[in-house]
Amino acid sequence: MIQVQGLSKSYGETHAVDGLSFEVRPSQVTGFLGPNGAGKTTTMRMILGLDRPTAGQALIDGTPYAELTDPLRRVGALLDAHAVHGGRTARAHLLCLSRSNGIPDRRVDEVLTQVGLGEVARKRVKGFSLGMRQRLGVAAALLGDPPVLMLDEPVNGLDPEGIRWIRTLLRGLAAEGRAVLVSSHLMSEMALTADHLVVIGRGRLLADASTADFIAEHGRPRLRVRAVDPVKLADLLRSSELTAEPAEGGAWDVHGATGEEFARLAADHRVVLYEIAAQQDSLEEAFMRMTADSVEYRAVAA
Amino acid sequence: MTTVTVLRSEWTKFTTLRSQWFTPLLSVLLSVGLTLAVHLAYGDIDPSLTEDPTIGIYYGFNFGQVPLACFGVLLLGQEYNSGTVRSSLTAVPRRGLLYGGKLLLGTGVGLLVGLAGTAGSLLAVDDVIGVDFGAPGMVRSVVVGVLYCPLLVLFCLGVTAMLRNLTAAMGLLAPMVFLGTVMLAAIPGVRAVAQFLPDRAGQYAFRLETDPNIWFGHWTGLLIMAAWAALALYGGWRSLSRKDV
Repeated sequence: MIQVQGLSKSYGETHAVDGLSFEVRPSQVTGFLGPNGAGKTTTMRMILGLDRPTAGQALIDGTPYAELTDPLRRVGALLDAHAVHGGRTARAHLLCLSRSNGIPDRRVDEVLTQVGLGEVARKRVKGFSLGMRQRLGVAAALLGDPPVLMLDEPVNGLDPEGIRWIRTLLRGLAAEGRAVLVSSHLMSEMALTADHLVVIGRGRLLADASTADFIAEHGRPRLRVRAVDPVKLADLLRSSELTAEPAEGGAWDVHGATGEEFARLAADHRVVLYEIAAQQDSLEEAFMRMTADSVEYRAVAA
Repeated sequence: MTTVTVLRSEWTKFTTLRSQWFTPLLSVLLSVGLTLAVHLAYGDIDPSLTEDPTIGIYYGFNFGQVPLACFGVLLLGQEYNSGTVRSSLTAVPRRGLLYGGKLLLGTGVGLLVGLAGTAGSLLAVDDVIGVDFGAPGMVRSVVVGVLYCPLLVLFCLGVTAMLRNLTAAMGLLAPMVFLGTVMLAAIPGVRAVAQFLPDRAGQYAFRLETDPNIWFGHWTGLLIMAAWAALALYGGWRSLSRKDV
């Protein structure tokens, strides 16, 4: 389990991470979400002891990372798939890591096979594609068979097959009882992978909830309605107190009424409906709305 | 994670990267090879080779020390430039342990290079023109010839740890250690200062003869070199232990 407690990191006047607290629990995938520049990577680097927090602390089962005896056996991390010396072979790169933590050499061959790099284990990393480097990074994270895993934007730049591979892998690792923290700026990806969401913006916690609860709370319910006579429907919506937005094909998205209420209203005004469906905002929309105020760099509309 | 496992890991890093094991090897080859070559060519006609034989014995080392210093820079510089310093610190988060591992490896490889280069050069010169091992100061010169190498590696390792960048360390050390100091020593006013530079002071400790222009003795020269290495290592430790990576 990872415990982040009041973690802060400031660079002069800039607060990259600002009083962040959350937990990453076993047996589930926790999605760590936020727009680019929200402080996800800085938080992960502080958990690993690479960056010193200005305040607060991050603990692995109650112990700071830097005090773990064999840290690779406790936490597996993938921060930057490019942080490999191209002149080393995949196997040599992993041996440099495993031997420092007393992990037997045969484990290196096991994880290389597990991530599908068994064939190229003795090839120099220089010639690896991004997807292969990402797999090597995952292999490094799995080396010590750790109960906690932490991956920073693991699907960035991967092709659809690679993305599906990561997704299946993460679900499998959580099913084995591990605590998995995975950061992303892609909400839709997390909707498919994560059981729990930690959303941050400008270094602050915006939400810490199960994926289902997050959608229930932040996904606004709405009705998608369509009428035989779209003009009459438009007139009705204009005269009513409901807020509505036009959608494609003459349909409208209506907020502030249940299906029964709206059906009755339409019947009273003799508007014939042929579609009335309760919908929920997608997670993507909920996320966009939630982080809209906290996006650091935003394109300004001309 | 102990000193032994960290050393095993550092040894693995050293042996699995061509540029890291090749530079110390090249250093020995240049030291011995060029010393042998110059004695084969001029051994019987150039009196300066017999006046102070250490000038001849360490002739090749003038060139051999360049790849050795590069090795000292590469030890940590390659980690900073490729970003592997972060995975190294994830595996060994106790920064003192990682730094100590690098330091021990650098010392060990430096000693091996010193032993092989000095022994090889002595044997080569002995074979061509003969070496008087009983000459005053000869034992000191040989001991210094061995010790200078690990000190040079440690000095370069420390400077790289301070600068946290391979290119910057090379840029600073190349003129400071190899190119500039010979030229600086040629300017009378600057010579007084230049004699205290690590390579000037260290290499004076090789010599049999006493130079009246140099303010300190031979052994002190080696101590000055050691002080530079210690200072650089301390600066490197301050940087590594305090900064975010």
